[in-house]
Amino acid sequence: MKKVFLLAIVLFVAAIVPVFAQGEAETGSEGFVPSKDIEWFVTSSPGGGSDIYTRMIADIMTRKDLVNGQTFLVTNKTDGGGEVGRLQVSRVKGGNIADHTLLTFNSGDHAPMVKNTANRIENFTPIAVMAVDKQLLYIGEYSKYASFAEFLDAIAAGQNFVIAGSKGDDIATYELLVEELGITQNQISFITNDATSDAITSVLGGHVDLVMSKPAAADQYVVAGKLTPILALSETRFTGNLASAPTLSEVGPYDNVENPIWRGVVAPKSMSAEAADFWSNAFKAVSESEEWQNEYINKYKLLSEFKGREEASAFMQKFQEKTLAALGK
Amino acid sequence: MENLLHLFEGFSILFTFQNIIVTMFGAVLGLLVGAMPGIGSLAGVALLLPLTFKFNPTTAIIMLGALYYANMYGGAFSSILIGIPGDGPAVMTMMDGYPMATQRNRPGQALLTSNLSSFIGGFIGMVILTFMGPLLADIGLKFGPAEMTALLLVAMTSIGWLVGENPTKGVLLTMFGILLASMGMDTLSGYPRYDFGNIYLLGGIPFVPFVIGMVGFSQVMRLMSERHKETKISVDKLSIKDSMITLHDFKRLFFPAIRSGFLGTFVGVLPGAGATTAAFMGYAVQKSFKSEEPMGSGAIEGIAACEAANNGAAAGAFAPLLALGIPGSGTGAVLLGGLMMWGLNPGPLLFTNSPEFAWGLIASLFLANVITLMIAWGVIPFLVKILSVPTRLMIPVITVICIVGSYSTSNSMYGVLIMFISGVLGYILNRTGYSTAPAVLSFVLAPLLESNMRKAFIISQGSLGIFFEKPISLVFMLILLVILLFPAGRLVLTKLGVLKGKKN
Amino acid sequence: MEKRRHPISVMQIIPIVGILISITFIYLGFAKYGFWDEFKGPRPGFFPVVISSFMLIASSLALVFSFKEEPIDWPLENWLLPLSVLAVLIATFIIGLLPSLAIFVLLWLRVFEKCTWKTTLTVFAIIAVIVVGAFVLWLGVPFPKGFIINMINN
Repeated sequence: MKKVFLLAIVLFVAAIVPVFAQGEAETGSEGFVPSKDIEWFVTSSPGGGSDIYTRMIADIMTRKDLVNGQTFLVTNKTDGGGEVGRLQVSRVKGGNIADHTLLTFNSGDHAPMVKNTANRIENFTPIAVMAVDKQLLYIGEYSKYASFAEFLDAIAAGQNFVIAGSKGDDIATYELLVEELGITQNQISFITNDATSDAITSVLGGHVDLVMSKPAAADQYVVAGKLTPILALSETRFTGNLASAPTLSEVGPYDNVENPIWRGVVAPKSMSAEAADFWSNAFKAVSESEEWQNEYINKYKLLSEFKGREEASAFMQKFQEKTLAALGK
Repeated sequence: MENLLHLFEGFSILFTFQNIIVTMFGAVLGLLVGAMPGIGSLAGVALLLPLTFKFNPTTAIIMLGALYYANMYGGAFSSILIGIPGDGPAVMTMMDGYPMATQRNRPGQALLTSNLSSFIGGFIGMVILTFMGPLLADIGLKFGPAEMTALLLVAMTSIGWLVGENPTKGVLLTMFGILLASMGMDTLSGYPRYDFGNIYLLGGIPFVPFVIGMVGFSQVMRLMSERHKETKISVDKLSIKDSMITLHDFKRLFFPAIRSGFLGTFVGVLPGAGATTAAFMGYAVQKSFKSEEPMGSGAIEGIAACEAANNGAAAGAFAPLLALGIPGSGTGAVLLGGLMMWGLNPGPLLFTNSPEFAWGLIASLFLANVITLMIAWGVIPFLVKILSVPTRLMIPVITVICIVGSYSTSNSMYGVLIMFISGVLGYILNRTGYSTAPAVLSFVLAPLLESNMRKAFIISQGSLGIFFEKPISLVFMLILLVILLFPAGRLVLTKLGVLKGKKN
Repeated sequence: MEKRRHPISVMQIIPIVGILISITFIYLGFAKYGFWDEFKGPRPGFFPVVISSFMLIASSLALVFSFKEEPIDWPLENWLLPLSVLAVLIATFIIGLLPSLAIFVLLWLRVFEKCTWKTTLTVFAIIAVIVVGAFVLWLGVPFPKGFIINMINN
């Protein structure tokens, strides 16, 4: 009996409190302002790249008081390789909760999502793209050849090579590269690893010939001289210690190959337009802040590239079409 | 030696008041987190990372290191006391730890054995790390896909020891474990396998809930039959004095611990293999040595072997992490992320650019080892008290912990469902004479074996030659052939009269 | 209770299930995932097919041997525990995990084990301290709140 009584009180209180909370937010309504905890979902494990990205932005927004003093609840939902979390967010029903729900969404999430499930970007409200990353090809100390041109010559002479990369985006870049070069996937094969660090390990040990990596993961090895960049998978050369790597068009009669990896944020489809605008502006403010530049972009050597609501939506749409076409869907 | 000097410098950095307090704090937290089923070192480290932000980088990383390391101690607690492994590495500890605590009525001794072995294994790992860290990391690099395949094949033969008296059933379950592990995303091809169209199965069967269920919850179900028995542990075994081990006990644990410490350290250095693999291999190797009591029935040697191995692996994992910036496991990746957040870049330049930090960390590991041992030893009486609680009261408590722990691994009820199904399955299997240990072991090792094997074949363009051309791989393949052919060879030689026949 | 009522008991069912699983995996392995690629070596189906083949052999052997084994008895009481867990799982979707667990503990101790209120509440308090203290407050694990509370919030 006591238990039922207690339960009744809990339910009663739980029912009353949100009513009060909403009451406060009604005042001053020039559009949306966060009025409760914000649930931000990350579909990968704590400590990883997406997790750091999410918590960094949440931290900057809180420090710069962009969210009306509300708290971010960052929740890692890794089931089904992340698909369950994405599906769950896409299905959030309209209302207050939807306006306070965000999902970290990258090209590395989008591609598997359309490949392995029926979920599509149309089920979400894109909010922003925050940063872009591109890859390079590197060789290790044991490499027989010193430049990408030499590798191409060796391939023409009948040799085969192996590139190690990580799952997600690298393999798409690899396929574009092979296609552009006009060679088969057996002449240069690709080994997918769970993480770039595994790929780098295999090239450091001399087990594979090349490694594909984004600048951040390989940086310290370049500085230490254990990895040398030999091809920039980008329209233009990189800067700093990566400037020596030519783009594909400089190596031979080819077009440049690039497959930018983007990091963005989306929300449930049912999020209200005012809330979406609010968030888009909030992310813009983060993107323009010094903290973002110093504590994230420079540190992880990404390229800060902001796209607001409409631009991000068009961009993700185009990405989806390209990905679907490549899959033959 | 130069490194020893560096180590002493590290100690001087370490022995500031703040750093020592922080080491103790990290050790206590690590013990607690490690003891809780479902929260393994990965989640523990990731969740406690923010706590360390308040401090300066050196202090913060010292705390984090202590935390990660103490985790390995804590995992044994719930294994020994309630038969529920706290995380992957603790599964093997449970095999002898729990029987020793309950059937042999020596819980305090079991805990102490575990603590001392952890200390010895960890100490060996740290010494090796100090003198050979970068060299060890380089050796680890030499283990590419082909070498790892050969090594893992040898390791898989050790499952044979765990199969028990009924090989048919053992093989069945071993294969079953492998098949379970193959469900989900296949990294190498980028496509899902055996997901049967289910979005949850797309991510595969999560390891920790599977283990908690198959090993832990099935255990609780078995306890239901024992509810009515009298409490087995008499209350007067509660003081530290009564938990002391005898000199004889110590001699029994010493050599297995040393052996496993070396083995574990080395396994910890290898790419992809972590504390869980180390614990398994330590236990399996120990099985081929003589032990006073049979393994699996509460033998001290059993506990010693796996605890020493898993702590050795934790220390060994720091070698590639610090020297090369390569995280050997998920937990290592979180540590790496933490280090990078403070602007420290583990990698080839770490020892040149920030030596005080690197050696301070290594020194702190030594200190954490000592402090954790002391704390763990001291709480043994309190822990043993848990065993005096009547079984029928423990059942709901453990059940709740199983459920909550399984939920916490992925913040989802899917984990609880897996735990439930594995638990019921484990119970049924156990009652019909199937032992579940091979399934758990193969679940961990097989994916490593498969992915390395396929990578090796991609490199060799489909040719088997690679396994015999690369020297390290060749060595392990030869060892494998010897192990496989040894029983047959002995039989033939006996029949030929070359060897004197041995009566079985 | 008669023990040899049915010729097919759990002892046989396990190997039979094993055989079925092996066949399923082998079939899918060949049909859907591919066995061997000329250049890349083993394809996704290769390893599972090999393993399933071993499992098929082992299961068949086990089936043969199982007819010689003694049947096992299954105390009905032991099944109350998994049934309760199942109930908790279902109840979670309605009222959330923590309330469901609370009700489970209270009912189990009081009704099933017939403990006194004192014992029941003491154990309940200890569990609450562990779960709430460690998992909720410290580690911040977000437990499911259930259908009812979510509806109230929205």
